[in-house]
Amino acid sequence: MSDPSLNLLVEYLVEGDRKRSLTEVKKLLDAHADREKIITHGVEVAMKRLENKCTIEQFNLLEIMVAGRAAMEVITFLYPQDRPPHPMKGTVVIGTPEGDVHDLGKNILKMVLTAEGYRVVDCGKDCPLDKLADAVKREGAFAICISGLITPMIPLVRKMKDKLAERGVKDVMVIAGGAALKQATAESLNVDFVCDTAFDALGYLGMITRSG
Amino acid sequence: MMNSIERIVSTLKFEKPDRVPVIAQVFGHAAAVAGMNLGEYIRDGEMLARGQIRALDRYGYDAVFALMDTYVETEAVGSVLTYFNNKYPIVKSYALSQDTDPDNLTFPDPYQDGRMPELLKAAGILREEAGDEVLVVGCVLGPLTVTTQLLGIEKALYLAIDEPERFSRILDFATEVVIQFGKAQLDAGVHLPVVFDPSASPVVIPPLFFYEYELPRLTRLFSSLSEHGAAANWLHIAGPADPILPYYPEAGVNIANFDYSISPSVAQKALPRTVLDGNIKPWSFVEATPEEITLESARLLDRFAHRGGFILSSGCEIPPESRQENVAAMVMAARAGN
Repeated sequence: MSDPSLNLLVEYLVEGDRKRSLTEVKKLLDAHADREKIITHGVEVAMKRLENKCTIEQFNLLEIMVAGRAAMEVITFLYPQDRPPHPMKGTVVIGTPEGDVHDLGKNILKMVLTAEGYRVVDCGKDCPLDKLADAVKREGAFAICISGLITPMIPLVRKMKDKLAERGVKDVMVIAGGAALKQATAESLNVDFVCDTAFDALGYLGMITRSG
Repeated sequence: MMNSIERIVSTLKFEKPDRVPVIAQVFGHAAAVAGMNLGEYIRDGEMLARGQIRALDRYGYDAVFALMDTYVETEAVGSVLTYFNNKYPIVKSYALSQDTDPDNLTFPDPYQDGRMPELLKAAGILREEAGDEVLVVGCVLGPLTVTTQLLGIEKALYLAIDEPERFSRILDFATEVVIQFGKAQLDAGVHLPVVFDPSASPVVIPPLFFYEYELPRLTRLFSSLSEHGAAANWLHIAGPADPILPYYPEAGVNIANFDYSISPSVAQKALPRTVLDGNIKPWSFVEATPEEITLESARLLDRFAHRGGFILSSGCEIPPESRQENVAAMVMAARAGN
């Protein structure tokens, strides 16, 4: 999905240039561009470009952070809180379990998923499993993404599905990522998928939503 | 039979030691071995040294570590940590903000501030009790990692993009902090401080960023440590560091850690004349069996049999909760294999 009128915006977003991205969005609105189209043909295309770049070169957090920040500012500008939100693909709960305060990966995933049109409920860092499971039930999420940098998170993550089952929540995908968790297999973690990068998680979520 | 120091010196010269050295990255795990509380171990230099000696007696590897965790520098500058009963601390509030004036920063005194004096005490005890035969390794963080610990990693990285000049000046401050701390560790008795720089991993920053910002500061750090008597320069950047390995010799690195995500052949090709240490997956010390660790160790020893310049190790820290028989299996593999 490319639209030549949005090429400049895509360039600025991939570069993470916040000022130029916002200036370009204002110009597009002045020219009566559709807000939703700016998201789907601009922001989402920029994320795809970034994903391809990260596959060819190497995934690094800094470039995603900077592009993600620009994308967030564009989305907030287009859909401030007093406007109805743009259509969402579904709700995903994300969080870093209790005992771990390293949440950079989680924050990046939040930006990537939001830019791709998911509604993200962020439970923060150092978050009890019960709070994560409650959020999944309350928000009607179809997936939960858990990150962990340190190995004591591994035994905790194994309990996530049980916590969901205790609440009668079934068929919710559990996805794990982060330096510690990605050393383990999905089977040993008792999760559905272990992702190497934020884009891996995005790809998996896309696959679920398409097949579901 | 060589002692551990002779063995490592021989390895550094790419000669043939009596056997391949084995350095288990046992930090907090030593507290578990010694039946100590990890929360106390990382605050008490004497306890840390005793724990390391107990673990050395248990395993018989070639190096001990005067190393607490990755927050010693930031705490000494002014960050506030939260300590726990039996796990590593976390940062409660960071010492600096984006608005900090880099010209008004005060260097911590390694003999007074935070836990630095306790780490120096541990270094002194370890040198006295084991240091004639076994390598005593201290630890400083790389300048970028200190910077991300002073500001918080997100703020630090956004500052690098938004205000590169201010970021560079904080990075220079961090460089000087670790130079002074590293020199104090050498004075206290370590043979060398390992430089841990996880924030410099290509997973976090692009290789060009490493080249422009971190490489010149690492070069300055290693040259200062060498001048101050460090036995070697050991750089430890976890994760898939392969794109930046070729820069290591320029920084003066003699020993390069490679993590489990890098294959031995890639590391060997990138660093033909640098000693490599690695690369058993850390989590396998918790989850695998001793037989699997023995097999993995043998595979690594075989991959380096002709090249030399190898220290058998884990790719990163051996988790505190690791099974002791797994650590023992790696050490035994080095002792058995030639």
